[in-house]
Amino acid sequence: MRELLLLLLVLPLTTAIVVALLGPGRTAAVRWVSLVSVLVSLLVATILSIQFTVERTRETLSVDVTEGPLTFRSDWIQYKTQENLLPLHTAADGTVDSAIQFYVGIDGLNVWLILLTALLMLTCVLVSWTAITERVHEFYAWLFVLQLGMTGVFASFDVILFYVFFELTLVPLFFVIGIWGGPQRQYAARKFFIYTLAGSLLTLLGVIGVALVLPQVEADHDPGQSHLLTFAIPELIARVDALNRELPKDVQQLERAPKDMEANLQQARDRLDYWRRVQLWVFVAMMCGFAVKVPMVPLHTWLPLAHVEAPTAGSVLLAGILLKLGTYGFLRLSVPLAPDASLRFGVPVLGSLAVVGIIYGAFCSLGQDDIKKLVAYSSVSHLGLCMLGLFALNEVGLTGSLLQMINHGLSTGALFLLVGMLYERYHTRKMADYSGMGARLHLLAVFMVFITLSSIGLPGLNGFLGELLALGGMYDFRGSQVQGTLLASLGATGVVLGAWYMLTMVRQVFFGPVKEPQYEGHGQISDLNGRELAALLPIAGLCLALGVFPKPFFDTVRPEIQVVAGIAEAARQRADTEQAVAHRVDVQQTASVAEKK
Amino acid sequence: MSDVRPYLWLIPVLPLTAAVITGLFGPRLLRRYSHWPCILAGVGAFIVAVMAFLAVHQGIAASEEDQAHQIQVYYEWIKVGEPGIGRGIEVGFGLNADALSTMMALMVTFVSTVIAIYSVGYMHGDEGYARFFAEVSLFVFMMTTLVLADNFALLYLGWEGVGLCSYLLIGFWFTRPAAAAAARKAFLVTRIGDMGFLLGILLLWSRFGHYLDYQHIFDHVQKANEAGTLDQGLLTTACLLLLCGAVGKSAQFPLHVWLPDAMEGPTPVSALIHAATMVTAGVYLVARCTPLFILTPFAQVVVATLGAISALLTALIALTQNDLKRVLAYSTISQLGYMFLALGSGVPSAGEGLVTFAVLAATFHLFTHAFFKALLFLSAGSVMHAMGNIIDMRRFGGLRKVLPQTHWTFLCGALALAGFPLLSGFWSKDEVLDVAWTAGLHANPYRSWYLILWIIGLITAGLTAFYTFRAYFMTFWGEERIPPEAFEHHHSQAAHGETSHLESPPVMTIPLMILAVFAVGVGAVLGPSHLFGDFVAHTPGLPSRSAEESLNFFTMILSSVIALGGIGMAYWMYVRQPDVPARLVKAAQGLYQLSLNKFYIDELYEAFILTPLAGFTTFIRIFDLYVLDSLVDLTGQLFRWLGFRFRPVQNGLVQFYALAMVLGLTVFLIALVSKL
Repeated sequence: MRELLLLLLVLPLTTAIVVALLGPGRTAAVRWVSLVSVLVSLLVATILSIQFTVERTRETLSVDVTEGPLTFRSDWIQYKTQENLLPLHTAADGTVDSAIQFYVGIDGLNVWLILLTALLMLTCVLVSWTAITERVHEFYAWLFVLQLGMTGVFASFDVILFYVFFELTLVPLFFVIGIWGGPQRQYAARKFFIYTLAGSLLTLLGVIGVALVLPQVEADHDPGQSHLLTFAIPELIARVDALNRELPKDVQQLERAPKDMEANLQQARDRLDYWRRVQLWVFVAMMCGFAVKVPMVPLHTWLPLAHVEAPTAGSVLLAGILLKLGTYGFLRLSVPLAPDASLRFGVPVLGSLAVVGIIYGAFCSLGQDDIKKLVAYSSVSHLGLCMLGLFALNEVGLTGSLLQMINHGLSTGALFLLVGMLYERYHTRKMADYSGMGARLHLLAVFMVFITLSSIGLPGLNGFLGELLALGGMYDFRGSQVQGTLLASLGATGVVLGAWYMLTMVRQVFFGPVKEPQYEGHGQISDLNGRELAALLPIAGLCLALGVFPKPFFDTVRPEIQVVAGIAEAARQRADTEQAVAHRVDVQQTASVAEKK
Repeated sequence: MSDVRPYLWLIPVLPLTAAVITGLFGPRLLRRYSHWPCILAGVGAFIVAVMAFLAVHQGIAASEEDQAHQIQVYYEWIKVGEPGIGRGIEVGFGLNADALSTMMALMVTFVSTVIAIYSVGYMHGDEGYARFFAEVSLFVFMMTTLVLADNFALLYLGWEGVGLCSYLLIGFWFTRPAAAAAARKAFLVTRIGDMGFLLGILLLWSRFGHYLDYQHIFDHVQKANEAGTLDQGLLTTACLLLLCGAVGKSAQFPLHVWLPDAMEGPTPVSALIHAATMVTAGVYLVARCTPLFILTPFAQVVVATLGAISALLTALIALTQNDLKRVLAYSTISQLGYMFLALGSGVPSAGEGLVTFAVLAATFHLFTHAFFKALLFLSAGSVMHAMGNIIDMRRFGGLRKVLPQTHWTFLCGALALAGFPLLSGFWSKDEVLDVAWTAGLHANPYRSWYLILWIIGLITAGLTAFYTFRAYFMTFWGEERIPPEAFEHHHSQAAHGETSHLESPPVMTIPLMILAVFAVGVGAVLGPSHLFGDFVAHTPGLPSRSAEESLNFFTMILSSVIALGGIGMAYWMYVRQPDVPARLVKAAQGLYQLSLNKFYIDELYEAFILTPLAGFTTFIRIFDLYVLDSLVDLTGQLFRWLGFRFRPVQNGLVQFYALAMVLGLTVFLIALVSKL
């Protein structure tokens, strides 16, 4: 079955080449080849996720994550492919035991994101059918390169490979925005490219840093053995987890040991402190790239611009998938590889920024007159919620965050589709130009209201579950780093603000007396056609399905989420113990000082 | 009685099926038969509800154990981690039929079916006929889910769902700007309350045992209370947050502003959603959470106070309104205020019996109110239907000959609302006042305060009788006046001025008569006989199985006198001496304006909340565009500038490069040497 996963990577690449070779003359052929390709991708992704779900539901009942080291255990990673790309060290018997690998696989964290990518690609091909008329073959070629990059990031289990795919996504989108975008497309494309590239270069430092430093810390700890470089994420996380457990334990043991071990104790403490300091830098470096991508306020200003200028397909993929690369990076790499730093630095800083983002993004949305900009800023707000759940660092919050990634991909993707469809009809995105479209475009209005409801978290649809779990996770945050209750309560204002800007838009555009925008050259305006329906229906269906039957989702993501939550929980308990100890020492010192007086 | 458990899910699912069928096939296939799925599903759901009622009733009769009175079904919905000590979330689509929820389900399915039948006539010929019935069916699904849910998450689903249906139905004629604005306002204002509600649910989950179902939470709190480990502050916060939701949904002060505007929707919607069912959800919620509220006296007194304020404030506003539907809307808020007053007055320190009695009084008033208020709205709708969509009472009058059936049904509803002795409203309102009175007599921290609330309740009773009959007399008595729009509506009738045909068709008047019978009789049948009380008292969670329910003749006579006084006053002012109101207005111009303009609360919100927020929005937009983004651009410019500065270095002169190499080498060597 591993071929299926490889097919998901090979197929877009092949299609990109084929489409490019078809040349500018054969646009119909380009479109049909693309459609077939995305349909096959979607089919493969669906088969993969269904099989994965079936196997998971059968076995999760017996899975116990607390056994053994906490990591994405390789026996849970299904359909994996592990090939050495760049051997670094060869063992005595001739096998390569250290290498940069082509290591891809499917586990609970990425399976739904991969499916989402395939699904949104289908809608993108459909929605570009008539919207893109120039350099069609190039457009579709870039689109497929983008698909390769996105699927690759999610599927990677090697940090270097992850990074390569991460950067690969920039190039096609740069061209998609820069060539087929709106009037300011070049400025937007350049800003998007440079901003995110600058951030992600630091991410590269971070991922290399963690891989390089680990053997060093281990060598200090256990000088007898040779410690090899590895870039495989499961392996790295297992090592980090081991260090995080062993180092403090050593310190504790030495503290209880006789006085003549003082020197050893100091050494052990130094090692622990060193490891934690490194974690901080690793975390900050990785954060630079991911936080720009998410985007966290105040690093978000590239986003509205890129969205407004991008063609509909670009916007859909940008909002639906590319922003998730940031949150996914935090979930897959930052939190498990730097748990202490995530807790001490990530929770207060990113947690607070997430709340700022929820409120700030919502007010920005509220102030817009351009529908597309409104939706773009709403992404900032929704991703803030996603980050809030993520940095609750507990099972509920992390699950909510991952679900929120899918939800946002579906609902915001669909919103951009709908805005695009409206734009294609009337060639304006100014809300003030519209009124009473509900009486004019029945189906479009129905879909818009439906997706709006999903976006504002109506229970029964998907958005609510993400909201409930993300807020609930933060509400239940037990560390002393932040007041989880306060952050969650502030974040909950997004519930009202989100409804406010979305319903204001719906009221302005779809309610009220009918007023069609004045635009020369549009003929008879008709409601959604079959192609547009085909693009919207699966998304709407999934919104409903996830809302009432999220069980498969929760079942499949549980083991990996528990791993991440477990690692973070260990860090939290340690921090609490240390704080309690420090507090006790403080109290004792003050008491002794007082006695002396 | 056979086991009803396997069929309980039919109560919400039948209307849901109807909604889906009508939504998908209504506009194309069913067209003017679109009401059939809705009505059939309503009847079906009502039958199942009756079966559930009988089963629960039998359970109560058979045993004294609480658990036996409940019937549950369960289907997994959310499961993340392990609940309880695992600090996860687990909830299902669990339905729970106990006495309280069965009573609500019975009322909801009955009233909604009757109103659906009425709508066949009222909505006849409307462009969105199918859409209307699809949305009404969806509403019934959501409302029954709300009352039957056995956990907060599912309750919240129904809660938001009815809010959605309310939004869609208020904005039913969405091309009218007023309807569009009212729909959005209703959703947003209730959402403010819902945000508090959601936080309250999270607080209960996070701090009281990590469960979301009522049973576990109540048990946890109960145990903590017995063990003395209960955090009073947290529980009070949780209760007040839950109350936020209730206040929003039940349109209580200070979130009451959406309900009068909601009258932009079709009148059957006003009757169903904004009078009989949805707005009572808040009352249901607080009643459901009685085990929590009774542990925090402060939250209780807040409930009672908000209820009393809402009751009085909106009764004062209703005195001067000229829109018949708005008068009724304000009276709805006022009556809901009564229910909250009762709920908040059930202080446990005055005996556990009072707690149960308070819940009974509130739910009984909810029950009777559903009938007579739905009746009043539908009668008003019948008037509106006849008058060509005119609802301003100044434009018509003396209709009692023109619309004889509507006149009688309206009168029944008005008498019940006014608390005319022996009619429904009389019994239930009397119980409410009795609870407040008892709370004021017994020792508790807020004793004298409850007496003040009781007096407010009495005053409101008088005002209610007055404004109800003011509306009645203005509409049906006096000189016969009919607006010209009334005749445009009936194209087929040639003779303008011919009034005999204006009465609504039987499909509308028969539901009116059914409701009228209930409005008159339901209180007398169920109230003094304790039939209602004995049943609802067996709701699990209530501390006592027997309410201290006695006929308090003092309150009874007092409130009768007040009600009759109000009616008499209205008769004197609007029939005998029609010039009195105008003189009175002139004499107290300030007060009149205050009431007419709803105490300027909308304007206050506009000035102190909306305008500053709009300003803040503009500020943020500008800040984002010109400050934050400029900083980003500036960073880009900085590097460009740096590059520009360093450009002369690459000047292409070989001598300069050689010099640079030598200098660099020297620095490197010096560094190397000094290190050695």
